[in-house]
Amino acid sequence: MVDPSGAKVQAALFVCEKLRIPLSRLSGTAGYSVLVGRALALAKAEYPSLVSWRIREDGSLEVPGPAGQGRDTEEIQKAGAALVAQLLELLATFVGEILAMRLVRDVWPDAPYELIDIETEKP
Amino acid sequence: MNGPTRVNIHKLPTGVPGLDEIMGGGLPEFSFNIIAGTPGCGKTTFAHQFVFANATPEHPALYFTVLGEPALKMLRYQQQYSFFDHEKLSSSIRFINLSQVVLEKDLGAVLAEITKEVEAASPGIVVVDSFRTVVRKAQGGASEMELQSFVQRLALHLTSWQATTFLLGEYSDTEMRDNPVFTVADGLFRLYQSVERNSIVRKLQIMKLRGQASVPGLHTFRISDAGLQAFPRTLGLTGRKEKKTARKRLSTGIAELDKMMGGGIPEGDSILVAGPSGSGKSVLATQFIAEGLRNGEPGIAAVFEERPQEYATRAKSFGLDLDTPQKNGNLHILYLRPLDLSVDETMQEILDAVKKIGAKRLVIDSLAGFEMALAPGFRTDFRESLYRMMGALTGIGVTILSTVETTESSNAYPFSSYAISFLTDDIIRLRYVEIDGQLRMVLTVIKMRGGKHSRDIREYDITGEGMVIIGPRLKGYRALTTGVPEPLGRPSQKRKSPVKPAGRK
Repeated sequence: MVDPSGAKVQAALFVCEKLRIPLSRLSGTAGYSVLVGRALALAKAEYPSLVSWRIREDGSLEVPGPAGQGRDTEEIQKAGAALVAQLLELLATFVGEILAMRLVRDVWPDAPYELIDIETEKP
Repeated sequence: MNGPTRVNIHKLPTGVPGLDEIMGGGLPEFSFNIIAGTPGCGKTTFAHQFVFANATPEHPALYFTVLGEPALKMLRYQQQYSFFDHEKLSSSIRFINLSQVVLEKDLGAVLAEITKEVEAASPGIVVVDSFRTVVRKAQGGASEMELQSFVQRLALHLTSWQATTFLLGEYSDTEMRDNPVFTVADGLFRLYQSVERNSIVRKLQIMKLRGQASVPGLHTFRISDAGLQAFPRTLGLTGRKEKKTARKRLSTGIAELDKMMGGGIPEGDSILVAGPSGSGKSVLATQFIAEGLRNGEPGIAAVFEERPQEYATRAKSFGLDLDTPQKNGNLHILYLRPLDLSVDETMQEILDAVKKIGAKRLVIDSLAGFEMALAPGFRTDFRESLYRMMGALTGIGVTILSTVETTESSNAYPFSSYAISFLTDDIIRLRYVEIDGQLRMVLTVIKMRGGKHSRDIREYDITGEGMVIIGPRLKGYRALTTGVPEPLGRPSQKRKSPVKPAGRK
């Protein structure tokens, strides 16, 4: 049986991991690590449950123990989403929404972007 | 039977306005180039302009950043330029950061990484920015032999990939002489940025460009919202036409003065109106422009000492309407006041305006104001620059009237303080004279290359209708050109210099 909260954590990890490769090519491994580290710090302020999460040297995320074990499912889901949101927001802050969207589109070309409410990208 | 044909080197547009002309048509395709200069001089922006002008999905650009500036940060700032096209990212332009390889591995790994990416993408353009950091890294641990080997191998790769390639870096003059990479490069571009008094002066030099004739020397450039814009030193001169022997005469708007000039100013001439402050130089210049407009000849007034509206308002006080022709596009009043202009930049602006409205007449009011608008570093070259500018403009058929202020003296009759009278085809000299207890104004046509002219010294006045010549040749005096003439028939006596009046505008 799949732990539902674990699946939610895995989703956040998966998104960050997918972004790590292209963003590391752009800003270097160290550059990406700093970026995701900052996103994690901002997300932690909102969701203290992220306090045990770490950034590895290569920029990947480290979640101690079995993912989501013993935690509230909804809380974990929101915390993971907050981390991804902070990462994307930081990206948009640095390079602007248009470029940030372009980078995300390159990673998930088939995602339904018309649902995303970004003023410059409205269909 | 035809022999083997020479290779046809395709020239790529640089994306930098003015630079293709300096390069002799563009940048040779598949050339290996170095852009060198100090931080902030525009190397990255130059490379970006080239990349955005040429990269396509079929022939993309690979842009490697090393330690200098991460691509994310670079993109943050470069997207502010108007040439930046978001649509080209990913599909046509790919940024790759090599900082980790440079920090953790050796030169071989750097080369292997670049090679791997290039072979995977088959790019049309490859940029390594900043190459200097690779070399610095190498100097820390690698021997000179290894470094040279790396540079040679990288250069070999770059010249063999069927790509137009660039290395960007900070190099001193000494390094540029000693570094083997500069020997291998097909193109070597140096960007300079210097502070001269309170102005920033940017210049570029093509130190080397194989296979084509570039324009030698230092060319000024500016970085604006549109990126780099270069101002070739020879702008317009290459297409200069010989003046026809029989040319149309342009009226100055003052009938008597036209007669003194043998019918007016020969079209395509450069005429200098020299005189002291308040003698009516600007009035004459305005009448010249207004007369052209009346005759259907669009004009440009490049003013340095007053704003366009003030210029038009002053013209109105002489019954000359400059507002209507400005509105309908026949007159452009260029106000060039910034204190760090280069002559080439000013010339470009004037040339653009001339082309835009098809101007036939140009007024530069005044040369002193023009000189003051230049960055101090350019003032030393003012005379030479003026020569190029006048040559370029008259070469495209524009008739130029420039004004210049002179310092009055009773024992000299100077035409300008710039020793530039030889640059102009025609000269009109205005001056004050003291006659019968009055300070009066006289004018003389000093020189006309295009033919005969009157030698008369004529009195004029500035009235509500502008400059008006009010009398025939002044007779009965000697030494009129000193400003303190003596009536003929009276014994000559030494007199004090006349009092100079307050300036009139």
